[in-house]
Amino acid sequence: MIEFDRVSRRHGDQHALRNLNLAVDQGEMTFLTGHSGAGKSTVLKLLLLLDRPTGGEIRVNGDRITHLTGGAVARYRRRFGVVFQDHRLLFDRSVHDNVALPLEIAGFSPRDITRRVRAALDKVGLLASERADPASLSGGEQQRVGIARAVVARPEFLIADEPTGNLDPQLSSEIMSLFEAFNQVGVTVLIATHDMPLICRLRHRIVTLSSGSLVAGDAS
Amino acid sequence: MKISLLRERLLWRWWPVWLLQHQSAAASSWKKLQGRPLSTFMTWLLVALSLALPASLLLTVNNLNSVTSHFERPPQFSLLLTEQMDLDDATHLQQAITNWPEVARVKLIPRDEALSQFIALTGLNPLLESLPRNPLPHTLLVSLHNTAPEKDSTLLAKRLESSNGVDQVVLDTLWMIRLEEGLRAASRWVLAVGAMMLLTTVLALGNILRLTVVARGDEILVVRLIGGSSAFARRPFLYTGLWYGLGGGALGAVMLWLFCGWLAGPVNALFILYESQQRLQWPGIHYPLGLLAVAVVLGWIASWMACQRHFRQLDKQ
Repeated sequence: MIEFDRVSRRHGDQHALRNLNLAVDQGEMTFLTGHSGAGKSTVLKLLLLLDRPTGGEIRVNGDRITHLTGGAVARYRRRFGVVFQDHRLLFDRSVHDNVALPLEIAGFSPRDITRRVRAALDKVGLLASERADPASLSGGEQQRVGIARAVVARPEFLIADEPTGNLDPQLSSEIMSLFEAFNQVGVTVLIATHDMPLICRLRHRIVTLSSGSLVAGDAS
Repeated sequence: MKISLLRERLLWRWWPVWLLQHQSAAASSWKKLQGRPLSTFMTWLLVALSLALPASLLLTVNNLNSVTSHFERPPQFSLLLTEQMDLDDATHLQQAITNWPEVARVKLIPRDEALSQFIALTGLNPLLESLPRNPLPHTLLVSLHNTAPEKDSTLLAKRLESSNGVDQVVLDTLWMIRLEEGLRAASRWVLAVGAMMLLTTVLALGNILRLTVVARGDEILVVRLIGGSSAFARRPFLYTGLWYGLGGGALGAVMLWLFCGWLAGPVNALFILYESQQRLQWPGIHYPLGLLAVAVVLGWIASWMACQRHFRQLDKQ
């Protein structure tokens, strides 16, 4: 469970978040939406400890996380699978090696790594491109590689920042179906997006932010 | 007890993982260097030249040191006696000094013998015959025991100088002492030059590795975002530094051997001309091993510095 308890983030006079209360239950799929600058990315950054709040508290499964430093931050981040809008794939290695990265970090054996990578690529429909250079794939395929990398280590939470930002409606819909599939097997999913037409079609909780505050949707 | 058991289990669990991660980082960084052979070779050359230069200077100083250590150097003084000392006085003084415990032997060279030796050596017969009298004094050659320390011989020189009838004391082995002091100064110079070259290597290598780290900034960022520790993100770059060091150190050792091979002919010919048994000392096994060790440590330090700087900037962002 993810809990934001009166969390604020201020940059000088600018409030990126203002006393935000938000809870995402275990196994829930939640969309975080709002205009650019509403605070969606700030929520994800604070959750991944890429930034620290200036007020309030964030708890994950009941544990306060804002005081974590050094190696504890790295261990904490391994509990998350993260999908970025620009995929952030490494183009100097194959699709397989990109997906394998979280498993190498977690210390899996080469045999387990191969098995899990193939399973993850199979789930996103890219098993045939295992040895391909990511640069040779289309935008939608690259995003699916990013998703395979996010789920390969079977994280508790799946976080995505505008995962369909650069995709056409049909590809966006396919990508969302993938997130739903992972949610159905128990992964807690939190997606920041402003693709309202798409998420309105899906029957999941929608939380809307504006100027760093919650304006629509329940806090929990 | 429980804590130590837990630690032991964790250690056993993590040991193969740690090894695997190192193996993978070492292999991937080696592969990346292979992908750009020219720039890798240039970096090796940079490390090799920076290390081979001070190493060759050190080898030269060591060779000179071993040459001087082969010279026998029993301290010896020449005592030039005053005009008033006749041959009997000189003989008495010779006997008196012979009894001193530090003194091994005393040889008397009478002024007439000294003159005839001088004439024989220089051939200045007509000039010397034109002088009204023999200008040379009686001389005593005082040899000390080999074991006499430097300080004792200085004290002894003072005592000899204050003896009755002694005009001047000349330390015959002064040139050797000067040479030794010169070599000591040269050793320090080599150390200073060596230290400067090592610092230059770290800075140059640090800059090269910094460019590598910046070029692979995306990889570092992604690794950290998906839960890789700083150590994991740093590891491939540490291995890059290690490969640069190993390659550069090996190339430096080869250069040193080539340098010795090139010098050995004329240097050994010189020894033979001086009828010395001495030959040029080769680098042996210590120099290549030392070069490799120093180069690896430098590469490692340089890559560590490059990574830390980049990580600090990332953290600030």
